[in-house]
Amino acid sequence: MRKAPKHEPIAELEVTEPKEWAAGVPAVKKALEYSLSQTSPKRTALTLLTMNQVDGIDCPGCAWPDPKPGHRHKNEYCENGAKHINDEATSRRITADFFREHRVSELAERSDEWLNAQGRLTEPMVKRAGSDHYEPIAWNDAFALLADELNALDSPDEAAFYTSGRVSNEAAFLLQLFSRAFGTNNLPDCSNLCHESSGTALSETIGVGKGTVSLDDLHHSDLVFVVGQNPGTNHPRQLSALEECKRNGGRVIAINPLPEAGLKRFKNPQKARGVIGSGTVIADKLLQIRIGGDLMFFRGLNRLLLEAEDAAPGTVLDHDFIDSSSVGFEEFAEHVRTTEWEEVLAASGLSRAEIEDIRDEVLKADRIIVCWAMGLTQHPHAVPTIREIVNFLMLRGNLGKPGAGACPVRGHSNVQGDRTMGIWEKMPDSFLDALQAEFGFDPPREHGLDAVGAIRAMGEGGIKVFVGMAGNFVRATPDSAVTEAGLRQCRLTAHVSTKLNRSHAVCGEVALILPALGRTERDRQATGEQFVTVEDSMSEVHLTKGRLEPASPVLLSEVAILCRLARATLGDRMEIPWESFEGDYGRIRDRISRVVPGFEEFNARVVKPGGLPLVNPVNEGHFRTSVGKAIFTCNSGSIPDVPEGHLVLQTLRSHDQWNTIPYSNDDRYRGIHGDRRVVLVNAEDLAAQGLTAGDKVDVVSVWSDGERRAEAFTVVPYPTPRGCAAGYYPEMNVLVALGSVASGSNQPAFKSVIVRLERV
Amino acid sequence: MVRRSVEVAVPVRTAYDQWSQLETFPRFLQVVHEVEVSRPTLTRWVVGYGPLRHEFLAEVLEQQPDEHLRWRSLGRRLRHRGDVHFRALGPARCEVTVAMQMDAPPLLGPAARLLAGRFVTTLLESFRAFIEGVGAAGLSWRGGIRDGRVEDVGGKAPDFPEWPHG
Repeated sequence: MRKAPKHEPIAELEVTEPKEWAAGVPAVKKALEYSLSQTSPKRTALTLLTMNQVDGIDCPGCAWPDPKPGHRHKNEYCENGAKHINDEATSRRITADFFREHRVSELAERSDEWLNAQGRLTEPMVKRAGSDHYEPIAWNDAFALLADELNALDSPDEAAFYTSGRVSNEAAFLLQLFSRAFGTNNLPDCSNLCHESSGTALSETIGVGKGTVSLDDLHHSDLVFVVGQNPGTNHPRQLSALEECKRNGGRVIAINPLPEAGLKRFKNPQKARGVIGSGTVIADKLLQIRIGGDLMFFRGLNRLLLEAEDAAPGTVLDHDFIDSSSVGFEEFAEHVRTTEWEEVLAASGLSRAEIEDIRDEVLKADRIIVCWAMGLTQHPHAVPTIREIVNFLMLRGNLGKPGAGACPVRGHSNVQGDRTMGIWEKMPDSFLDALQAEFGFDPPREHGLDAVGAIRAMGEGGIKVFVGMAGNFVRATPDSAVTEAGLRQCRLTAHVSTKLNRSHAVCGEVALILPALGRTERDRQATGEQFVTVEDSMSEVHLTKGRLEPASPVLLSEVAILCRLARATLGDRMEIPWESFEGDYGRIRDRISRVVPGFEEFNARVVKPGGLPLVNPVNEGHFRTSVGKAIFTCNSGSIPDVPEGHLVLQTLRSHDQWNTIPYSNDDRYRGIHGDRRVVLVNAEDLAAQGLTAGDKVDVVSVWSDGERRAEAFTVVPYPTPRGCAAGYYPEMNVLVALGSVASGSNQPAFKSVIVRLERV
Repeated sequence: MVRRSVEVAVPVRTAYDQWSQLETFPRFLQVVHEVEVSRPTLTRWVVGYGPLRHEFLAEVLEQQPDEHLRWRSLGRRLRHRGDVHFRALGPARCEVTVAMQMDAPPLLGPAARLLAGRFVTTLLESFRAFIEGVGAAGLSWRGGIRDGRVEDVGGKAPDFPEWPHG
């Protein structure tokens, strides 16, 4: 194990050719190197060998599902999962001495990487009003302080409770219960930032806000589209599923602005062909689409399918499905037939021949799945884009059948489960009624604030107390300067955290750090050792149980922190047995059984190997939409106008990064080493602007309320389509205007940023 | 394609209901060790003789109560497909017919047909003995499947958290 760094790493950019394949032996080496830099071989072995196993630790890295029990590898994890879990299992510790040594204002100058590298938080800390230091505080005093601030608010709506997707089902259920018992629906969450557009589009068109496929479907599909997604970095285990699909005879089409290594070829480190062979080609066709051109691409593709049906009636469309299970086909077809090819080609940057080639692939496939991630959801027109994908799936009846369906691929390990548990500012009355019947209080019915709404309210003085349940709110959100100003304006900010991050340094007048047990650690309560549950991206709910001794004996679990905060805040105002919940998480699950549909007999069912799969109504022949059938829609929209000399910039993660936290300055698949302050631009665009590789520029975004500037970035020529650019998140978040959101979902448009480059 | 039939001394509804409870196959067919129904259209089977095991997914492509069921295996090994038809011969008697085909390279075609024939014969005889022995089938799923998709017959949808998920 290496000690925590005292100094920032020196940035020294080296650019190499982007890689042509992902994983393989280097991935194993990198995973072990990072793990062993954080902790001992024994702890590394314990975390890795129990990771994603039945009764083991669910990887907090992403929400990709696990294979069925009996089908899991002994090493059922990926490079980034291994790095992430040992980043939490690190043997480095932050004590009160650290905070004596480092002022809060000094921490605010530090990089995300440096803050994270200091190790695990070990005791509750408080920054008092006017102070520039955190100091220790007893747990009871911390809860009393937070409770007093909450109870002193003029209205419960002056508080906001943010949830990160790492939070378990049990803690999420308690958080929404506490928030609503306290009196507010202000429950912003990281779903607001990643897949809100997916949920909005899917709910409206097929009646469920989640994907419809399982791993089995993916393995046995004829054709899988991977759109706006980089599985090699963000969901590496998906590559194993795509490899299995290919070996079963399926084909894969990738549509992405960047030619990511993981979309090209996968060397599965679990297989001989991946270690000593050349691996498996993943994408049979890789279309480098212009940023935000996906809606027009799918409209063009849908038009081609309609025309193919015209040419050979009864052979292309699934009339049985369209007639019996959907509405709106005629209007949709009329609308799509008006699609102008000039518009399709301009928006997508593709040729008509390329799109016709994809049509031919579609016509040969009986079962089709479309996977997507934030390359689709973080645009102003994200919701219509995803609705158009649903149209595409429905045309040939690719919903509700094995090997077919919609697959939004989620990032945080329990981001889907947290929403299932009621973390949403607009929960339907049916859920609130169930909550009322179960707990005997009337939850507030007025909708609360989402992430963007909460930031805006902070700036306007409407939110005075902000509680972050895990996560790193200030770095996960757009418009960094506005968000930071908002948080600093709060009377109190409190973060339940395992490690240090910028949200502790950019804080309210008073700030609390409430250190929690990690996913990897044993959780012992009054009735014995506890487990918690999570829901993966394919709606399988299963348990996760830590195996390591806690980083500090005084750490509390997230459940315990919430129960104690609720008791301190609500006193005897409600008859909710918080103490009982803290002592036995099974009692929380009993309540979940009675409040959340689909969780009946939760305790009994979730302990079965593999857990509890939620039954998706679409796969049972039910479309729970407003009309009881799947709905075809007419969709329009595009990225904002791009003025002459400007580019469309997408923010993205590097390979050596977990959400907001970079582990190093490297992004080896893309050939970027030693420095993250780069902007990737098509070489011809650079030449047109008189720039050459290595030039320093300010990246300036334009929005209706003015310009924003990210200073001193190095330009790197990169094979991205003309007119497009890319830069790392969260460094580029400063460029994303708070008002730049997806229509219908209010999700920040992190991937539609109009920028120009100004030479420094 | 091999085809075999058997007469069974139970009403056609009883025979169909019992057959469609796929998870009960290990009760009467020794070669089937485990069946898991993921959803009405998708099942996972573990079959084998002695120490040998083969696991596969099967998709139900068509299913109409008291009439027929058509399936195909998924995956690249030992692929097979087939259908089963139910025909009433009277109020307490019916005929069950199974047709099955195993995909095999041309050279192994005769062996595959022989294997399929023996399997289907054993399957039908075992099923007949079982359902006549127990006399009645329990509650079974009586929905329909067409082209691999469950038909919407307007019944109650499963409980599911249907609000938008971000």
